[in-house]
Parts: sequence; structure tokens; C-alpha cells
Amino acid sequence: MDRRSFIKLTAVSGTTAALASCGNPEHQLIRFVPDEDIVPGQAVWKPSVCPLCPSACGLTVRVMGAEADVVRNGKAGVVQILAAKKLEGNPEHPVNHGGLCARGQAAIQVTYHPDRIAQPLKRTGNRGVGSYEAITWDAAIAEVVAKLNEIAASGKAGSLAFFGRSGSSYRNALIGEFLARFGAPAPMSYDLFGDDVLRRANAVSFGVAQLPTFDFAQSRYVLNFGSDFLGTWNAPVSQSRAYGDMRQGRRGVRGHFVHVDSRLSQTGASADEWVPIRPGTEGVLALGIAHVVIRDKVRPAVADRATAAIAGWKDGLPDYAPERVEEMTGVKANRVERLAREFAGGPSVLPQVRTQPGVAVIGGTALAHTNGLFNALAINALNALVGSVGVPGGLAFTPQLDILAAAKMTGRPTPAASLRQWAADALSSASSVQALLVDGVNPVFTAPRAWKLRDALAKVPFIVSFGSFLDETSVMADLILPDHSFLESFTGAVPESGSAMAVVSAAGPVMKPLHQTRATTDVLLDVGRQLEKPIELPWQTFEEMLTASFAALPAMTEGSDAWTDAQEKGGWWGEIPAAVRLKPDTASPVRLKADTTSVVSGLSRTQPEFDGDAAQYPFHFLPYPSNQFLDGSTAHLPWLQEMPDPLTSAMWSSWVEINPATAAKLGIAQGDVVDVTSAHGTVQTAAFLSPGIAPDVLAMPAGQGHTTFTRYASGRGANPVDLLAPVTEESTGAVAWAATRVKIARVGDGDGRLILFAGEFREHQEHGR
Amino acid sequence: MPNWGMAVDLDRCTGCGACVTACHAENNISTVGAEQAARGRAKHWIRVERYWEGDFPDVTLKFRPVMCQHCDNAPCEPVCPTYASHHTPDGLNAQVYNRCIGTRYCANACPYNVRFFDFFNPSWDKPLHLQLNPDVSLREVGVMEKCTFCVQRIKATTIAAKAEDRELKDGDIQTACAQACPSRALVFGDLSDPESEVSRLSRSPRGSKLLEDLGTKPKVAYLSKDA
Amino acid sequence: MAHPPHQQINRDLLRPLIQTSWRFYVLVALPAAVVLTGLVSWFSQMYFGFGISGIRWPIFWGFYVTNFVFWIGISHAGTLISAILRLVNAGWRRPVTRCAEVITVFALMIGAMFPIIHLGRPWLAFWLFPYPSERLIWPNFRSPLVWDFFAINTYLTGSVLFLFLPIIPDFAVVRDRATGIRQRIYRVLALGWRGTPKQWHRLETAMQIMAIAIIPVAVSVHTIVSFDFSMAPVPMWQTTIFGPYFVAGAIFSGIAALLIAMAVLRKVLHLEAYLHPLHFQNLGKLLLVMALLWGYFVFNERLVTYYGNGPSEMAVFWRTQRESFAPLYWTMVVCNFVLPLILMGIRRFRTITGCVIASIGVVIGMWLERFLIIVPALGHKYLPNSFATYRPRPVEIIITAATFAAMMLLYALFSKVVPIISIWELKAGEHTPPELIPPATEEHPLGELRL
Ligand code: SF4
Ligand code: SF4
Ligand code: SF4
Ligand code: SF4
Ligand code: SF4
Repeated sequence: MDRRSFIKLTAVSGTTAALASCGNPEHQLIRFVPDEDIVPGQAVWKPSVCPLCPSACGLTVRVMGAEADVVRNGKAGVVQILAAKKLEGNPEHPVNHGGLCARGQAAIQVTYHPDRIAQPLKRTGNRGVGSYEAITWDAAIAEVVAKLNEIAASGKAGSLAFFGRSGSSYRNALIGEFLARFGAPAPMSYDLFGDDVLRRANAVSFGVAQLPTFDFAQSRYVLNFGSDFLGTWNAPVSQSRAYGDMRQGRRGVRGHFVHVDSRLSQTGASADEWVPIRPGTEGVLALGIAHVVIRDKVRPAVADRATAAIAGWKDGLPDYAPERVEEMTGVKANRVERLAREFAGGPSVLPQVRTQPGVAVIGGTALAHTNGLFNALAINALNALVGSVGVPGGLAFTPQLDILAAAKMTGRPTPAASLRQWAADALSSASSVQALLVDGVNPVFTAPRAWKLRDALAKVPFIVSFGSFLDETSVMADLILPDHSFLESFTGAVPESGSAMAVVSAAGPVMKPLHQTRATTDVLLDVGRQLEKPIELPWQTFEEMLTASFAALPAMTEGSDAWTDAQEKGGWWGEIPAAVRLKPDTASPVRLKADTTSVVSGLSRTQPEFDGDAAQYPFHFLPYPSNQFLDGSTAHLPWLQEMPDPLTSAMWSSWVEINPATAAKLGIAQGDVVDVTSAHGTVQTAAFLSPGIAPDVLAMPAGQGHTTFTRYASGRGANPVDLLAPVTEESTGAVAWAATRVKIARVGDGDGRLILFAGEFREHQEHGR
Repeated sequence: MPNWGMAVDLDRCTGCGACVTACHAENNISTVGAEQAARGRAKHWIRVERYWEGDFPDVTLKFRPVMCQHCDNAPCEPVCPTYASHHTPDGLNAQVYNRCIGTRYCANACPYNVRFFDFFNPSWDKPLHLQLNPDVSLREVGVMEKCTFCVQRIKATTIAAKAEDRELKDGDIQTACAQACPSRALVFGDLSDPESEVSRLSRSPRGSKLLEDLGTKPKVAYLSKDA
Repeated sequence: MAHPPHQQINRDLLRPLIQTSWRFYVLVALPAAVVLTGLVSWFSQMYFGFGISGIRWPIFWGFYVTNFVFWIGISHAGTLISAILRLVNAGWRRPVTRCAEVITVFALMIGAMFPIIHLGRPWLAFWLFPYPSERLIWPNFRSPLVWDFFAINTYLTGSVLFLFLPIIPDFAVVRDRATGIRQRIYRVLALGWRGTPKQWHRLETAMQIMAIAIIPVAVSVHTIVSFDFSMAPVPMWQTTIFGPYFVAGAIFSGIAALLIAMAVLRKVLHLEAYLHPLHFQNLGKLLLVMALLWGYFVFNERLVTYYGNGPSEMAVFWRTQRESFAPLYWTMVVCNFVLPLILMGIRRFRTITGCVIASIGVVIGMWLERFLIIVPALGHKYLPNSFATYRPRPVEIIITAATFAAMMLLYALFSKVVPIISIWELKAGEHTPPELIPPATEEHPLGELRL
């Protein structure tokens, strides 16, 4: 008698519940003959690409035999399949060099998620209820074709809308081409924590609408304005590796790291010095530093460059004397002077330590204000001032492949409206929107409530989702055509940053589809072909598109071709032929464009504005992308839910961070239930007392608070987006997600909703004797 | 005979937690869910400790990844009545799940609190089970589990090397956590080879051992931020 | 100290065996119900998983191990006490020894359950036993748990013998009075006792040997139990004082248990004529001595820690002294020290009621002591990141309650089938037989020492 049956036996005498437990279903299963030839216990490694964020890290996937449950002609059974077992960083990949973040590790659970949509679904109940029935692919595609024909016939092709993913990828290129040929506007992509402000600023400053790549490995001084470059921002894995080398990669040299932010983020936690600053005044501090650098001629070379490179700075930014900067930013004047000397590499309070090259970084919260562009331009100018642009240890821009050129695409879709504008139109009485296609994004969850996106969707007559999960947006769809998971499909993306040389992350499928799903790219091609006015794209399948497009790139190895190489190595990297390189080119070293300063000084808005009056809403509200869930797109992965948060050790929870002194004043204790209220909404969550946050700031991680997003995320925690004011950065229209004011009120004692892994947060506890 | 050990460079560690998830992925560690996690049943063979120092505004935060230190003088070993927790010739503190009867004595004896107990039969919502690593045995209710230094990887690579009869090179064997670590804070290797990177790091003046004064002879070196 | 005449003795002491009143059924039914609930709880713990208990990372021992140490402690009541009293030939011991020895046997049986109940995989408990197996794996003899296994088994065997030997003549008495099936059963148990001088002599010699042999065993048992803790590098566990500290505590709680048992028997079985206030006073004095000894050990343990001032030790120290566990800690001090000192120290209070109150206090206090040794330390072990607190869950509370019920139940059943006071020893106390036992006289209430 084995142990289990022994437990059961004892249980029978102990509990009646045991009656249900007899018999072990596995034993009734039939074993089917596998349709792949599998060597048991033999692992093979195949390359792939992490889909969870735009930095598109390279993966090496361990593939082995595994027993999957299947139904064959009505009989349930198990069959051996070749299944992905473990995602590992691709050591050769120029972005992540074999490293992988926690999210990348957990990405495999996307493929094996128990609540993944396994076949096409057609809505049966009301929208948002989530009741669907299974239908065949043919029927599903026929419905889409019919609708598109109808739209085309009505001559309102422009009324077809598409919610797409951000970033440069072959997938997006194909979608864009499809829409262009159909006559619809380009896909709308919306990222709550997107960096459009910085792209715009870089376009102004350097002529490159792109996020920078930092050479931390060779920096000696990093001055970070609010970015979470070691956690979630830009290319975290690439940056983390470089950071490690900056600290300990060089014999006898240890780079210095200063973090400027109103909150000590996960990234800030690694800093040597934290400079708490009044939210939104980062640009002012940067100009204050520039002021001192020029005034004191900290380094003659620098002073010269100031006058030479930066027209309009000859007078040395008189408005930004340290004393004024102190008034505006709350950073002490002498501290401003010290930082300036350290950063510019002059004689500093860091004795015998050279601090050049140094680099200033801006991202995240510093951009998320109504004056985000000003902040970004100021920091760009500061970098130019100390000459850290396009030099070792400074910032540069990863050469980009022009996919459209590489794929020889002709169509240029009409530019898309902003999501906010689109929602407004859709809600207006004269709404022309007839159909919406959603490519696995979830803006309903992340867009400010004031945009009424959900109501807008409710008014759209026909919605198709290609998503794999029933999230807040998919649940509004009439038709769900589930995509393959990334491990089951061809992928190709161009990382925007994180590598010195040009990179294309690409790979083929590593395993057969687990469910009755189809690659969205192929579905679109199929639909295109079936239309009355067929859209004849030059390829039958997405694979053909990749094969064709890679022809534009040189082979990486002798006697091979780029596409074969890419499928073996998990991507292509090297020197991009000029013909397919994205213009305008970033001829290194990047020079600061002369007009930047005029823009800086010309900017109407240098001070941030906040929604909600300070008397009624005394706190700045600082939502931030969660290290586990980003904006919420990975909240459905159990490994990430149970992974302790870096700063709080919280699992399966959400919380609001509050300064202990403030909490004491309000009688709020660790774990207490609190209401956080803005002029636009209220969320109820647990309080976490953190000494790493300014007394007048409340911070809250995004990602939780899903109403529907699989068994693991639904109804868990609260979503800070519910509080956000619809204020935007004026010049780009990007959401100024750090510009909302809130108040907080204690509701009651902790009710266990805040689950912490750590017991204590102080190592040395003093007990008086 | 190799002597496996690890070095953790606290100056590189950013607290990102990739190692934690990597360990779950490699070693078939089941998630326990919110309710059980709240009852202290979460199993993280490697955890990233975080400690605040000072108060606003002069506050700093220290991260410290802690996994089994594979003590050469391991308190968890002599107390185990069944030899489930025992030392291997190559310096690992091995845990034989099938021999463990669940007295949890070893966990009390472990000063680092890195031993975790299966309070229930681990389960995976299908088809999440397809991810399970066939090289790592699943645990039953009532047994202790802990960091093994990814012994399955050590064995596989060693056997492979033998088959191709070549010497193991430093870096041939990587634990899942070290492999994932974006900032290269974790370095695994053979301490008996003075040239290996882990030996070199362990000799660093920045290096120290955790709770060394207890005489457990831990084999994980922690390299402090400041030299 | 006059006892009733022989016929009277037989009548009184055999009554419980002959007559069965409704009170007996109640006395059996109630605890039986609780014990049953306890069993169900344990089985469901095995069925659903150990997780239904409150045990958590990193506090891996809680109520169960507390109960283990507690009951093994209680078991020092009988054998040790009665053995010592026999050796010093205290005449007044005669009515007391048996109910003491019974406590030992049952407390051991109950205590020995807990190492199994608290196992993650109890069905493999036999792996602690060094049997020749195809796995060719013997238990790890370096592990204190294996020492426990042997110590407890030895002690249990010894105590059973020590209890059984002196019952033989009484079985004979019952045999001679019983009829039918009962007579046959008692005949077997009496092992053909005829009361010949040879038999008497052998019995006495055997008793002497057992009395001497059982004392070191009893001492070793709780020393080894204390090793379960002092062998692990846990703050406040690693201390050399644990051996004697645990033994003293054990005897302390043992005496308390004995006093309670005696008082109950006296009432329920109307043994006023046999269990005199003198017995309670004498044991009460013993309780007082042990209370002082316990106080000394605790003071010693605490003072050394306080002076040593090791950071991890002090964390645990303050946790019990003035933080979360302080209320329990000071309750323990009152129960184990203040209460016995007052009630047993002042003659006026050293009455039967006084003894019972003090004893109940001591039993509670000693249970708390074990709990406070285990839980605060495990929840405060070195790395603050893993500090935690433990809350028992219903299954642990029920099982704990069930063990107390089990004690009542077993005791009730035992006193139903065996005279709870040793008939022959009582008689032997009256006239001077050839044996070594001297009579207790008024001037020598404790009898004269004759070793
Ligand atoms: S950074 Fe993390 S999530 Fe983003 S692509 Fe790389 S591994 Fe994936
Ligand atoms: S993965 Fe590396 S950097 Fe991240 S927490 Fe673990 S050790 Fe630290
Ligand atoms: S760290 Fe703990 S578990 Fe690991 S060997 Fe040392 S004592 Fe044993
Ligand atoms: S829990 Fe298992 S491994 Fe630990 S001591 Fe008990 S039997 Fe040994
Ligand atoms: S070495 Fe292996 S088992 Fe140990 S923590 Fe790292 S991944 Fe987990």
C-alpha cells in the first residue's frame, strides 16, 4: 500500500470527505501515440524572444518531452509532446547577454496558463459579462471578412480602428500594411508608462525620436532623474548588466550613482545618494547644476562647450542660481553646487575619484508631469554640456532597422488619432467607428477613467480581440480569435535601445501550438485574401514575410543567410546596410542640436501643474510600474504574484506607500486599510510604511486591481489608474501620470490583504538595557 | 573532487528578484497562493532580503539574496534522524526528499531559515504542469525542501563532460539563479579551484560570510558594496 | 497514621471495581468524546495536509512539541517520586505510590504520541527505528530525536514494569474475591501469586532493583528531551543549563499532577480515610522545594543571557520579557513561582484545596514554560527578514485538549480495573511483616530510613 492510499484509508475513518478521494483519474487516461518523435529525457535548446516588454530580450528555451492532456476523437488521454521547459537568457544576444528579468523568467506561464483562451469564441451574453461560446475558425474568420466587406462597401474604410502593441516589430509592420491597404488609419498604441515625452525631447535635442542606450559600464558617475532603469524602464536587463559592471566591472574603479526622485524606487535603492526632490522640478535642478558648472567653470573645457555648443547659455542660465533652485526643488543650494562639481568631474567631495565620464538619465516620473518635456530637454542639455553624448560612458542611440524598407512595404497608413481623441469621437453622437480590432493590449485597464474608454468600446458595433486572455478589454469583444503564444509562433522585433550595435530579435516557434489557436499575423493575411477587394500582401504567411524581409540584411556567418542565422541565434545583429537603416541617422557622436536651448528657454511651462487643489488633496500621487506586473499586463502569472516585491516583500497584494512620520500623524499603521481619493476616484488598499518616500507623496504600484484577468489576478488588489486625472504633457499629449493630487483616510485595521514575506525591515534593532 | 560554492556581489545586486523566479522555474517549486502565503507557507529557496537604514531623507536600502549557504559545518545535518539532510563529497548540503519524514528539526537548526516545508501536496493548475523540470523530483506533502545549488545541473554537466571525456571548465555549470541574474551579482563555481571566479571573489577584501560567527562554515561569500 | 481494619480496606478499595455508578459512565463518556474529536482532527491533518495547523516558516515547532515536552515532564510524577520514596522508605508513601506510577505510564504514552503527530509524514515514523531494511539505512544516531526514541521507550518499559510488579498481590486479592469471567482474567494477571514468603521476598527485591534502576532513566529522559533544543543553534536554546532545568521542571509538574490526581480520587472514590491531609502537606512541601529550584533555574538562565548580551539572544530575551510574549511570560512566573511560594510556603494555606490550586497553577505554568522556550526563539532567529509569529489553529487546540481528556479517560478506566491504592502495601504498613518496610508511627510520620 503506498503512502497516498494510506492517508486515504486513515481519512476514511477520520473524515467523510475521503469518499470523494478514492481512485486516481490519471489511471483511467489513454496514452496516445505522439506525432513528434521525442527522445525521452533529451533536452534541446531553441532561441526565442521575450514578448513582455519592448526591450525584446533574447531567450534560449529548453525543450523536452512532456505529457499533455488531449482529447482525440472524443476520448480524453495523454500524449507526449515537445514542450518548452525553461526560459533562459540568450548569452549571445546583445541586449540581455544571457540575463533575464523576473518577468522574462515567468513568461513561460503565459503559454501554459490554465485560463488561456484555447479556441475562437463568440459572445453570447452582454458585453463585459464574459459569456462566450466556442466557434470554428472558419466561421470566425467568415464573420470578420463579412464585417470588413460591409465597411469597405460603405466607403468608410477609415472607420476601422485597431488597438496595437507599441514598439517596432514585423508584426506591427504587417498590421500597418494591412490597415493601409484597407484604407484604415494606422494602429493606435497606448502605453500608460510609455516614454513618448522622452522620444519627443530626443528628437528635439538630438534629432532622434528614440530612447537612449546608456554605456553605464564605462561611466564613473550616473545622475538619475526618476527613471527605474534597474527595474522596469527602457531596457532593464541590459542596463542592469551595465550597472553591475559600472560598480565592479573595472579593477579599482567604482562608478558613483545618485538618484533624484521623490521616492526611493527599486532603482534608487541601489544608489549611493538619494536626493529627494519636489515632484516635477527635475529639470530645474538640472539647469541649476548647469548654472553652477558654467558659473564656476568647473571644467574649462565644459565651460567652453557650454558657450560653443549651447547657444543661449552664454549668460550662464541666470534664472537658475542655486538659491532659486532650492526654492523651487527643495534641494539645498549647497547640495546643488556639490552635485554640479561631482557631475562635471571637477574637484569634488569624492576625494581622488574621477567622475568622468558621467551621464544624466531621465525617465519615469520625471517625464510624467505636465512639464515633462521641459525636464527631458533640460537633462538632455545637461548631458550635452558635460559632453556625455555619443561618447564611451555616456548615452547613444541604437541604430534602428527600417522594417518597412526591409519588407519593401508600399502602403503608408493615415496616422492614427490618439487613444483619448478616438474615445471622444466614438462617444460623440456622430460616431463613425464601425469596427475595432484589438491585438492583445488592454487599454481599458490602463487608460485614465475620464477618457471613458469602456463606454466608447460599448458603442462600437463590432469588436474583435486577438488576445489570449479574457482581460478588461477582451471581455468587450464580440469575437475572440486567440493568437498563438510567443513560444508557438514566429517573432521579430527591433529593440529600441539596450545595445550598442543594431539588433533584430527574431525566432521561429519552439513548440507546436498547445491549443486551437492561430497566429494573428497569419489570420490577418488570410482575412485579407478573402475580402471582396482582396488585400494581396506579397506573402502567404508571416514566416514568408520574415524570410523575405531578412534578405535585406547581410548574413552573420559565412555561407549562410540572415534569416537562417536569426533562427539559429535568436536574432540578427551587426552593421545595418544604409538602405534599410532608419533615417534620420544618428551619426555618432550625437550632437546637441543648436535650437534645443531656445526650446528649453522658450518653453512656456517649466513648472509642473497638478490636478486637485493642495488644501483638499494634500498629497502628490505617484503610481509606478510594478516590478512584477509593469502596468498590469503580467499580473496573471502566478510566479510573479507570489514573488516578493523588491521593496516591500509583498506577495499577491497591492498597497500604498506612505512616509512613517506622515502615517503616524494620520494614525495609520502598517497594513491598515486606507482610502486613497483623488478628484476622479477612490481606491481602497493597504498602507505600507516606507521611509523611502517624501512626507507629502503617496506611491502605489500599478498592475493589480483587475476585474477580469484570469483566476490569479481577478479581484485582487486595487488599480491606481482609477485615481488618475486626465491631465497630459502639453506638447505630446502623453498622460502626466504623476500629476494627480490625492488625500488618504484610514478605514480600519489591516484585514490581511497586505501579505508580506519579510518579517522585519531593519537589520539592527536597538533594545535598551 | 570539486567543492561547490557561490559568491554574491552585493554591489552588483539590484534586488530585482529575477533569481527568485528563476529558482521557481528550475526547481519545480510550487506557488502556494495568497491564502497560504499569508500563513507563512510561501517557498522561496532564494529570497532577497531588504533592510532599511536611517530615516527619511537620509535613508538607504540594503539588498541581500539569501539561499542555502551549503555550510561545511551544517547544523541542519546532524539533527536529521533519517539522513535526509546530509553532506555530499563535493560539498553540497543535499536533501533527499523521499527520506524526509518531516520532523522540521533541520529547519529549526538552520540559522539562515532557508529550509521550506511542504504543508500540502504541491499542485499545478493544468497545463502549468507541462513546465515542470523532469530533472527535479516533485515533493510530497510533509517534506522539507531547499536550495540544492541546482544539483541536477551539476550532475548533468559533469556526466556530459565525462562522456565527452573533457575537464569541467569554470563556468560550465551555472545555477539557475546565477544564470538569470541580469547584473551578474551571483557567481557559482568550484572553490577547490583557486583560479575559478568564485574562488577569486571569495578571497576579495570586500568578502564576508553570513552569520560566520556561528561556526557553520557557510560556502556563500557576500561581497559588500564598499571596499 | 491509622488506617481502617483490613476488611474495611478491602471493601473501600475494591468498591470501584465491583460497583459501577452512573458517575463512572459520565466520567468515561465525556473525555472519550473529546479524545475521539482529537483523533478525527489528527486524521484530517494527515488527510488534508499538515498545513491545517498553524505551523509556518520559520516557526516549525509549536503546540505539538510543547505538548510533547509537557507530558514527558508530567510523567516524572510517579515513577521518580515513588521510587525515591520507596528508597528512602517513607511509610506515608504507601497510599500514594500507585496513582503516581499510573500517571507516569499514561503521561508517557500520551507524550510519546506527539513526535508522531507532529511529523510531516507520520506514516513513516517507523524509520526512526533501527530495523534491518532493504534500504540499508539506519537512523542517524547523531540526532537527538533518535536519542529521544530510545530514552522514551526505555522509560516506558521500565515504568510499566515498575507499575505492574506491586499490583500483582492486589490482582491476587481481586482474583480471590471476583467471580466468573473476571476471576479468570485476574487469575491470569495475578501470575499465580500465592503470597508465599519466597514470592514476597522476590517481589521486594525486584521492587528495590527497579526503584534504583528507574531513577537514572527518568533523569536521562528529560535531559535528552532538553537536548532536542540545546543541540540546535537557536538563540536562547543553546544553553548548558537545559538538562537539569528540564528535569527539575519535569519533577515539578509531575508532583503537581500527582496532587491533582490524588485530590480527585479522594473525592470521587471516597478515599478520605486513606489519603490524609498529611500526604498533601508532605507533597506540598516537595512542590515548594521544586518551585524554589525552578525559580533558581529561570533566574540563572535569564541572568546569564542578559549579561552575555548577544544581539540575537537579547532579541528573543526582550520578546518574552517585555514584548509580544510578555503577558504569557509573567503569567508563567506567577503560576510557577509566586503562587506555590505563597500557598505552599505559608502553613495555613498548605491545605488540600491550597495544594490543588497551587498544582493547577504549576501545571498551567509549566505548559507555558515549554511554549515560551520553543516559539519566541524560532520566531526570532538571527536574520530579521524571517522574523515571524505563530498562532495555533483549531486542529492543534483540539488535539491538545484531547490529550488532557485522554489522561482522564485512561485514569478512570484504570481505577475501574485496578485498586488505585496498593492494598497490600497499605496493610503491610499496619503490622510489621518480615519485609523491610517499617511502620509509620506518630513520632515518625515519614517512617525511619532503612536502606
Ligand atoms: S526586460 Fe524582462 S520583460 Fe522585458 S524583454 Fe527583457 S526579459 Fe522580457
Ligand atoms: S537576480 Fe541578481 S540582481 Fe536580481 S535580485 Fe537576484 S541577485 Fe540581485
Ligand atoms: S544554510 Fe541552513 S540548510 Fe543550508 S546547509 Fe546551512 S544550515 Fe543547512
Ligand atoms: S524534516 Fe526531514 S530533513 Fe529535516 S530533519 Fe526532519 S527528516 Fe530530516
Ligand atoms: S542555486 Fe539553484 S536551487 Fe539554489 S537558489 Fe539558485 S536556483 Fe535555487
